[in-house]
Amino acid sequence: MAGLELLSDQGYRLDGRKATELRKLQARMGVFTQADGSAYLEQGNTKALAVVYGPHEMRGSRSRTLHDRAVINCQYSMATFSTAERKRRPHGDRKSTEMSLHLKQTFEAAVMTQLYPRSQIDIYVKILQSDGGNYSVCVNAATLAVIDAGIPMRDYVCACTVGFVDETPLADLCYAEESGGVSSLALALLPRGGQIALLQMDARLHQDHLETLIEAAMTACKGVSKVLDEVVRQHLQEASVLTGE
Amino acid sequence: ASDVSVLWLPLPRSLLTCRTAEPLEYHRSFLKENCRPDGRELTEFRTTTLNIGSISTADGSALVKLGNTTIICGIKAELANPTVEAPGKGYIVPNVDLPPLCSSRFRPGPPGEEAQAASQFIADVIESSEVIKTEDLSIDRGKLCWVLYCDLMCLDYDGNILDACVIALLAALKNTRLPEVTINKETSAPEVNLEKRWELQIHKHLVSASFCIFDDSILISDPTAEEETLSTAHLTVVTDEDDRLCSVHKPGGTSLSGERLQECISRATTRQREIQKLIAKVAHSVKKAQ
Repeated sequence: MAGLELLSDQGYRLDGRKATELRKLQARMGVFTQADGSAYLEQGNTKALAVVYGPHEMRGSRSRTLHDRAVINCQYSMATFSTAERKRRPHGDRKSTEMSLHLKQTFEAAVMTQLYPRSQIDIYVKILQSDGGNYSVCVNAATLAVIDAGIPMRDYVCACTVGFVDETPLADLCYAEESGGVSSLALALLPRGGQIALLQMDARLHQDHLETLIEAAMTACKGVSKVLDEVVRQHLQEASVLTGE
Repeated sequence: ASDVSVLWLPLPRSLLTCRTAEPLEYHRSFLKENCRPDGRELTEFRTTTLNIGSISTADGSALVKLGNTTIICGIKAELANPTVEAPGKGYIVPNVDLPPLCSSRFRPGPPGEEAQAASQFIADVIESSEVIKTEDLSIDRGKLCWVLYCDLMCLDYDGNILDACVIALLAALKNTRLPEVTINKETSAPEVNLEKRWELQIHKHLVSASFCIFDDSILISDPTAEEETLSTAHLTVVTDEDDRLCSVHKPGGTSLSGERLQECISRATTRQREIQKLIAKVAHSVKKAQ
């Protein structure tokens, strides 16, 4: 897109944000009754739903049961109407399977699976509207859903996608920025210990810039964790008011 | 909000049976007093809430909550060649998806029986009732038309999917705004103007009402998932605003007499008016907000 600057001279991005500014994050927990845990999260224009069932008995192939910990089963899918062009194959295609695997690996690092041997935890994430940062929004929504289900975790898992333009790292990329040829890096962090659960970057980036980019991503993730913590406390307060405690 | 079972009548200890151990007895004890575990009357429908236009990537969208059952409908319009049998008409392709996230009874994988049956039901209802005139979807006779992909997704399964799907579909169609397409005379290529949009004209306001039969004799409306599994037959009636029937669907199960069927149909017509008012109210408030 000729003429559309990802970062203007005054330091403003396409949607008017500054380089390190995150999109507006709104979330609600406990939105569905059938599931053990559920959460709805909006980050800018990207809307995602996460639903957790479990821990429950292994379903399907019993041979996959682990004797000492729980199996985490993740499924990522996008609604057909979530993108500008209708998505023909919402799940089962390579991208979705890869995303599901990444989510599974991310949560295996955070959830205390040793407490539930021989059982299964299902995490289903659905994108209702896609505007960039799909993986990060899914991870954030799934964290809230797992907390809502009461499954113990080592720490919140917060994720953010950052990009590098004009020597400046941009936090929380939207779709226009992601598709504008920016080197993007997705990071999932356990904020308290500063531990990285997942890091993915498939773009050309000079080695010297990697350090700054990871730093920017970690700061952004810590910002997200503050918001998520606020949401959890708010939800807990509402729930305790309802039960009269 | 948790599901509240309102025990406002003193039941003898023998009837305070566990809901999970003996669900049938539990429900029967309520039905004897002419009410249901969630406090509703036998012919009462759950609270319906509607939210339209929340998905901006879709051309039309609606989210319906019928009690706990949540269905989201997203409509995407694409350009296509019309079918050979109907060159002057566009077409609508509905699809109902019951993903594993809505209930633990569904497994990941290809669409199951229930989802496919629901999709076919919606397709039949759209065709028979002419909710929109497919001639409106035609752009260039024989060459170009609109095809509307209506994707209905269940987010929370608590019974009575069909009713919620029909309401979501109707509300999403009402919300759909298609861009104007002009055919360039010289190149005969279509030019889509995304800025100028026109609203779809809804010809018939369809509303469906579902019932189920309990113990071969008791008729209850708007069953929850638990009631559906314990019932012996289902019935769905779809009516439009001219008090005409569009579809009556009774897939097997125990038999139903003519008068009970008439009762259901009259309840369906009252329901039709309630929902039509609701949709009109929500559409009006969205217009005011814009």
